[in-house]
Amino acid sequence: MSGPATPTRSPAAPPRAIALMPAVLQHEWDLYHATWFTLMGIGGGIFLLARLLRLERGLGVWLGLPLVDLVSFAVISVGGLLLIWSLGRPLRFLRAVLKPGTSWISRGAIADFIFVVLGGALIVPSLSVRGATPFARLPWDPWATTVPGRIIEGVALAAAAIVIVYAGLVLADKAAVTFWRSWAIPAQFVFSSLAMSMATVMVMQTLAGTPIESIECWLLAKFLALLLAVIAWHLATRMTQPGKAEALARLYTVYGALFWGVVVAAGTVLPMLLAVVAALLPPTREAFGAAALVLTVGGGFLLRLLTMRVGYFPPVSGMLRVPKR
Amino acid sequence: MRWGMVIDVRKCVGCQTCTIACHEENALPPGIFWRHVVDVEVGDYPDVRRAFLPMGCQHCAEPPCVPVCPTGASQQRPDGIVFVQYDMCIGCGYCAVACPYRARHMIHEQDWYFGTPTASETKARDPERHGVMSKCTFCKHRVDKAPAGATPGVDPEYTPVCVSSCIANAMHFGDLDDPTSNVSKLREEHQPGVLLEELNLKPSLFYITE
Repeated sequence: MSGPATPTRSPAAPPRAIALMPAVLQHEWDLYHATWFTLMGIGGGIFLLARLLRLERGLGVWLGLPLVDLVSFAVISVGGLLLIWSLGRPLRFLRAVLKPGTSWISRGAIADFIFVVLGGALIVPSLSVRGATPFARLPWDPWATTVPGRIIEGVALAAAAIVIVYAGLVLADKAAVTFWRSWAIPAQFVFSSLAMSMATVMVMQTLAGTPIESIECWLLAKFLALLLAVIAWHLATRMTQPGKAEALARLYTVYGALFWGVVVAAGTVLPMLLAVVAALLPPTREAFGAAALVLTVGGGFLLRLLTMRVGYFPPVSGMLRVPKR
Repeated sequence: MRWGMVIDVRKCVGCQTCTIACHEENALPPGIFWRHVVDVEVGDYPDVRRAFLPMGCQHCAEPPCVPVCPTGASQQRPDGIVFVQYDMCIGCGYCAVACPYRARHMIHEQDWYFGTPTASETKARDPERHGVMSKCTFCKHRVDKAPAGATPGVDPEYTPVCVSSCIANAMHFGDLDDPTSNVSKLREEHQPGVLLEELNLKPSLFYITE
């Protein structure tokens, strides 16, 4: 009577990649960082769009100062304070500017400072308090009609552009998290920021009694179309890469309803379609602006938060042979 | 000179002495482990073994955690040791998300195992280490103490505590650039591998598996 065949040991196997530590979620960055990224995107974006489209005069004035610029600085400042609050050592925050040669956090922090300082300097000549204009003698005006004004505005616009883009580059540049290491991340953040900012500008126009132009609706639709395309590109590329596969699985299961329902459908597709309708039907534009603000900001914030929450470190593996006894 | 380790996986018994020795030497708070031992199953039935791999900072020659640091707190010494200059760190966490080996740990709160600090916790306590990033230092406080004539990796007092405490003589520390050092000889003899070789970060921890 013979029993089952006993397996025989084969010769030593060649080395092969063995997963030593599974993919794990990162927990360093979460809600604070998603909020920070969102606020930087809106703050830089409304300054940029209002100036490039020359809308700042029609968005209201407070104390003689362009309201859109004040809102921009306030949003950037809140975002910056939130980031500082999230640091382990908040009182050392000024050190964050020390390594612009290699660190995107340093580059972004410097851009934030330049933006707020130069943007503030640009508008301060028109400051009017009870009829007094203490800075009126400065050789420029907030609308950048003179050469010095145009130079200051140009540098502030460049800084605003960096403020919008650097959040995504912080994630995409050298992070170990596979899901983040793609140009799709900064591209998503930029288009989302521009969409949120366009919607914010529309609401400010409505509040100031300025009509919303069709070009603004078309621009918003284009930003959202580009955002949708980049999201699709990000989801469809490098799908099986270690770390990315786990991230996509989590995105589609744990956060599936939020991602598809809020980020994609309500935060991107719906406002894109409504923007086309608003471009064609002027009477709907004011209502559309308010709806677009809610939808794009909600979707944009959630896009950033979910990007944080599906960030997996890839598995740690090594080429190992089966050790002999 | 470039400090490094060669770890003989064939000898490691997974006792975690290195884990505890590191924890005690560096007075790490509960839940923070700069050195830990991974327990893995390798091979296919019937050629299956349990293997234990001491893991931690790989002290890469091209560490991704250093350039991302916005303050310059994350540094690399000429001898290859990667460390955090605590008084410069703002605790942003960028280096932690840049490290594919997950070897960096934020110490958020001062915490003790038994409510109040033990003698060893008091001895190695560093208030500067709270609210900042922390990581394995290759016990540079021991290595740097080596007087003329003493050799880190040979003299246990001046060797990283995980190595000198290893009960199985599985861990070896020395100068990777010195062809006569213990680690260079082990590398030449066994051709050990590294983890995540495809990232080309040139880690300083080598693993002998056969």
